[in-house]
Amino acid sequence: MTDTTEHPAAPRIEVRGLEKAFGDTPVLRGVDFETPRGTSTVLLGPSGSGKTTVLRSLNALETPDSGIIRIDDVEVDFARLPAGRAGRREGVRLRAQSGMVFQSHNLFPHRTVLGNVIEGPVIAQGRPREEAVADAKALLDQVGLADRADAYPAQLSGGQQQRVGIARALALKPRVVLFDEPTSALDPELVGEVLAVIKDLAATGWTMVVVTHEIRFAEQVADQVLFLDGGVIVERGSSAQVIGDPREERTRRFLTRVLGPG
Amino acid sequence: MRHVLRGVVLFLLLALTLPATAGPASGQDSGRPVVRVGTEGTYPPFSFHDPRTQELTGYDIEVVEAIAEKAGWRLEFVETQWDAVFPALDAGRVDLIANQVSVNDERQARYGMSDTYTYSRGVVVRRTGDESIKSLADIRGRTTAQSSTSNWAGVARDAGARVEAVEGFAQAAALLAQGRVDAIVNDNIAVLDYLASTGSTEVEIAGDAGQETSEQALAFREGDQALREQANRAISALKADGTLREISQRYFQADVSVPGGGDADLSGGRGQRGTWEVVGATAWPMFVGLVKVTIPLTALSFAIGLTLALFVALARISNHRVLSGLARAFISLIRGTPLLLQLFIVFYGLPQLGLKFSPFAAALIAFSLNVAGYAAEVVRSAILSVPKGQFEAAAAIGLDYPLTLRRIVLPQAARTAVPPLSNTLISLLKDTSLGSVVLLTELFRESQLAAAESNEFLALYAFAGLYYWIICVGLSAAQKRLETRLSRYVTS
Repeated sequence: MTDTTEHPAAPRIEVRGLEKAFGDTPVLRGVDFETPRGTSTVLLGPSGSGKTTVLRSLNALETPDSGIIRIDDVEVDFARLPAGRAGRREGVRLRAQSGMVFQSHNLFPHRTVLGNVIEGPVIAQGRPREEAVADAKALLDQVGLADRADAYPAQLSGGQQQRVGIARALALKPRVVLFDEPTSALDPELVGEVLAVIKDLAATGWTMVVVTHEIRFAEQVADQVLFLDGGVIVERGSSAQVIGDPREERTRRFLTRVLGPG
Repeated sequence: MRHVLRGVVLFLLLALTLPATAGPASGQDSGRPVVRVGTEGTYPPFSFHDPRTQELTGYDIEVVEAIAEKAGWRLEFVETQWDAVFPALDAGRVDLIANQVSVNDERQARYGMSDTYTYSRGVVVRRTGDESIKSLADIRGRTTAQSSTSNWAGVARDAGARVEAVEGFAQAAALLAQGRVDAIVNDNIAVLDYLASTGSTEVEIAGDAGQETSEQALAFREGDQALREQANRAISALKADGTLREISQRYFQADVSVPGGGDADLSGGRGQRGTWEVVGATAWPMFVGLVKVTIPLTALSFAIGLTLALFVALARISNHRVLSGLARAFISLIRGTPLLLQLFIVFYGLPQLGLKFSPFAAALIAFSLNVAGYAAEVVRSAILSVPKGQFEAAAAIGLDYPLTLRRIVLPQAARTAVPPLSNTLISLLKDTSLGSVVLLTELFRESQLAAAESNEFLALYAFAGLYYWIICVGLSAAQKRLETRLSRYVTS
């Protein structure tokens, strides 16, 4: 991955003062964080804490009411977002910086595995088809699905589908990969194969933001853990710190509930 | 998708050129004015199709052709039901009517009537042996079958009868024979022709309808003086040189072009034909109607209608209030009014705003809009049946809205939409038979023409039904194949 940022030392993702309400219900009440290049950030928190909204905002699938998101050289100030088409164009620019892996994979059922992976590069980015196919095959090999390129999603297991979802996100050559509870919809025996792929990505230097409930996985993969509750970041730090030795009562309660006492 | 779009554009271009090519062709003798003649084509022996040649012929047709010869016109015949022929004259779709138009005060006031070329008398027709009807006085309080706007319908109403509206004499005779009406008032010549050509013994002439003879003439628009005067000069000349007498003798063994020219005798007339002979002779014209009108009309209307439906459906689900309101109103109007009425509005109504279309173009417009109204709801619900995650995933890989629709959403929506859209297509194929009422000579109209001439209703309509059914069976088979193809990625 080449970096086009002017200041190589600057963090890859910068989020400042993110706020959003659905109707009268505030879901984000001022979220700030930074993710350095080549690191993984894991968002933890109870359901309704706002962690998925933060992640979807990074991909402009949600539009915050105010706050700033910067990914490399693209910065969007949501409080000053122009209305209509121009505003949507800002969202599209931000979105192009990241690849998204969805909880329920959202593969295109009418396209083959290969078709799913090359759709973005060929159709949206206009890259030559042969080049995209070669890249896609390498990515499928990386996620262990080189032999299933011509299968339709419905012919794959849940774990295989999610790995295709990851390859599809990587094929866009994004600056950042976003994971929205990538294993929550999977049968327990299929979780491991997906987590293995994600760990592998973290190890090879991708910048990632992951929303997950897999605490053990978070411990292993996260350079930074953010614990959210009630739309704010309650605690932040390394995984050893936040998961191994939480300072905040709310964090402790959550971890106990998820991991069980002891 | 791209070649579908290209096809639609081609269709639209074709449709636009149709009114032009369907108009009067300006040939080498373009110096002679084209005069369009409205006539039934189902009223033997005055205006009908010769069962052997399928050519339009009859007493009125030959007379108007002789007039045209003298007046230097080039004729173009437009065939329509009687009740639609005066609206066609009003709307400027025809320039004159040659169809045994009886002269009465009302028509004298509203139209320009030519000099008389037929003198006839009205007769009352009854079911054979029904002694309760002997004269016009006996139809008081009874029911007669008539073309509702015909002169004879007026005579029947004045005599106190209830009038059941029909589309032609053959249909009236069928209703009378079946006992659904009690009598018919009509021109004695038409009745004699019917009896002679069908060999029917189920109905008979009971007696004269009043004392007076009635006079038939050509009808013109009131302002069209010049044309009427040319016709009158020609009629005088044809009477003088014996042409009218000669035509009349050939058809009726009597001269009906003068008062008291003798009793018409049609016993040696067109003769009877067997059912299979009639069906055999009509099978080809019906097939031509199917291939040249019914199928192209269905295919074009469906292609255009479906394209419109997509845009209406997108407007309907858009967040734009005005767009979605307009789409909703359009769908509501199309689904809330009869198709026949929509067809009449386009064909007879819009010319009053100066928008005149050829029969094919008018039918194409009406059917396309109708398909759009119905298919829009199908397309809308099919699009909404695609999970929201598919839109999000498409956005996440960088596809814009049009690309998302084309590449991700519509292919999946197609699976849901094919069965209901197939229903729409199959209905449309059969609905095109309504084109018969806007001067369109399609499959069903051909069977109507033949039935009026031969009285073989059951055999001909059943045969027309067979054509429709075969095409529908083919469409159902195609639907099945398409469904299989669109579902190949779904493992059950």
